[in-house]
Amino acid sequence: MKRNPLILFFVAAIVAAMLFAGIRMARDNRANGPAKGQLMGNLAPDFELPALDGKNLKLSDLRGKAVLLNFWATYCGPCKVEMPWFVELQKEYGPQGLQIVGVAMDDAGTEDIAKFAKEMGVNYPILIGKESVGQSYGGVSVLPTTFFLDRDGKLIAREFGLQSRSVFVEHIKKAMSQGQAVQAQK
Amino acid sequence: MKIFLTSALLLISAGVWAQDELGPQGPLVKMGVAPVVTVVQGKPATVPLSFRVSSGYHINSNKPKSEFLIPTVLKVEATTDIVIGKTTYPEGQDMSFAFAPDEKLNVYTGDFNVDVLVRPLHSVQAGKYVVRGTLKYQACDNAACYPPKQLPISFDVKIAKAAPAARQNPAQSPHAHQ
Repeated sequence: MKRNPLILFFVAAIVAAMLFAGIRMARDNRANGPAKGQLMGNLAPDFELPALDGKNLKLSDLRGKAVLLNFWATYCGPCKVEMPWFVELQKEYGPQGLQIVGVAMDDAGTEDIAKFAKEMGVNYPILIGKESVGQSYGGVSVLPTTFFLDRDGKLIAREFGLQSRSVFVEHIKKAMSQGQAVQAQK
Repeated sequence: MKIFLTSALLLISAGVWAQDELGPQGPLVKMGVAPVVTVVQGKPATVPLSFRVSSGYHINSNKPKSEFLIPTVLKVEATTDIVIGKTTYPEGQDMSFAFAPDEKLNVYTGDFNVDVLVRPLHSVQAGKYVVRGTLKYQACDNAACYPPKQLPISFDVKIAKAAPAARQNPAQSPHAHQ
C-alpha cells in the first residue's frame, strides 16, 4: 500500500498539536495555584509571613514600592549567587522605591536561615516561607524563583533559576516605572 | 522525503518543547533493579542498591561540604524479621558548577550505589521478604535547585534455612556397660 506523504505530515502535525495542548494543560493544572498566564498583569497574591526579626510582613503593605520577591532556600547554591546582587540592588534602588523581599522555602529552622542570611550580609527582610504561599504563586518548584511587582502590586515579570544581574536591573527599572503611584507623580 | 523530514522535525521539536516546558517534575533520581539477595537465617549479607541521577543534574553526597546542604540519606524501614545494619554510601565527587566556579561541592552524578547490610533473625521463616524505605535527596542543575524529594525504594531478600548443625555423637562413657 502506497502511503501519501501529505497524510503523514498531517498526522505528525496533529500529534504535535495535541502534545502542545496536552502539555500546556498539564502544566497549568500541575500546581493548585494559578498558572503563569493568570498571574502576570494581575495583583500579586497577598500573604503575611513572619520575618527573621520576629515581626510579620504583609505584602500588600508595600504598595507604592516596586517589589522584588525572591523565593530561595539555604540549600540552593544559585540562590547564594544572587543574594549579594540583591544586597547591592537594595542599596542602589531602595531610595528610589524598591523593596527586595526574600522568602525562605526550606525545611531549615529559623536559626539556620538567620545564620545564613547574616553570613550573606542580607539587608532586606527575609520571611519564613510556607508551601501555601508558594502554591498561590503557581507552585515554587524551582529555586530561585523571582517575581517583580510594580508599585500597584501587580506582577510584571517572573524569572526561574539563576539570572544575570542585568536581567534583575531591567525588571526592577520597569517595576519602579509602573503603577498609579508613578502616574500620579507625573 | 522532505515531508517526512519536516514531520519528524515537527515531532522532535514538540518533544523538546514539552520537556523544557514541564521541567524536571518527575524523580531526578531513579532506582535500578535491586538484585534478590539470598541470605541464610541469622547471617548478615550486603544488598547493593543502584541509583541513577538524571543527566545534567547532581545531588549532594551523603557528606556534603556545607552544613546548609541536604545530604543524600537512605532510610530503611525496620522490620520484625530482618535486622537492618549499616548503610554504606559511596564517596562523592568534588565538583564545581557554573553558579559557583570557585567552590567545590561533594556530589553524586550519574550512577551510584548504596549498600545496605541485612541480617535475618535466626527464628525467621525461610521465604521472600520485601524491605522498603526511602532515599531522600536534593537535586540541582547548573542554574537552579529543586526541593528535597523522597524516592520510595524496595528490595527483596530471600531467606534460606540455615544448614542443620552437624550432629555430634555423645561421648562413650567407659562405664556405660558395667
